Amino acid sequence: MADRFCMVVSEGSFDKAMMPLIMGNTAASMGMEVHVFYTFFGLKLLKKGVKPKLPGLWRIGTGMMIKKMMKLNVPGYEEMLKQAKELGVNFYACSTSMSLMGVKQEDLIDGTKVLGASKFLDLAADSKVTLFIG
Amino acid sequence: MEKDATLDAKGLMCPMPIVQLAKKVKELKSGQVLELIADDVGAKDDVPAWCHRTGHQLVGQEEEGKVFRFYIRMK
Repeated sequence: MADRFCMVVSEGSFDKAMMPLIMGNTAASMGMEVHVFYTFFGLKLLKKGVKPKLPGLWRIGTGMMIKKMMKLNVPGYEEMLKQAKELGVNFYACSTSMSLMGVKQEDLIDGTKVLGASKFLDLAADSKVTLFIG
Repeated sequence: MEKDATLDAKGLMCPMPIVQLAKKVKELKSGQVLELIADDVGAKDDVPAWCHRTGHQLVGQEEEGKVFRFYIRMK
């Protein structure tokens, strides 16, 4: 069985959007099986067409950061998501957060699975690496 | 060093060289040697770690100014 890598994402800002994808895509490229569980404010990162912003007052600097990243050849959020799917990264939406935030399955990017905490913990319990991004 | 294919990942930042490397190895056969060229400082340790994890063999590593060259034999 491939080494498993599980992450929980609980914040929805730009930095918290990119980090799990950078980690996840790298891990998947290393042959690891990757599972990312989005909960609370992290959930909005899985909504179709979302454009995450930097947190707090940094929010207004988001465009500038994206431009800088483009100059450095760092792929944007959408591109990273596409890559993650190609690499077989698994995305999960927390079922409770969905009710809490009024998010429906059809709002979420294709391929997202709705999951409860137990199932995710079951996956995480047999995981070599677990990270919390929040 | 002898090689069967080259992947030029210059100008790409972490994790792109590794992501492209993982894609590239799917095109190669066991025993073939891939040359990977990168200029992201992270690649220096990332590529050996990737080899260690995936089981492909790092048979050579060179550093020329800011450019790294890796030679990887497919498992």
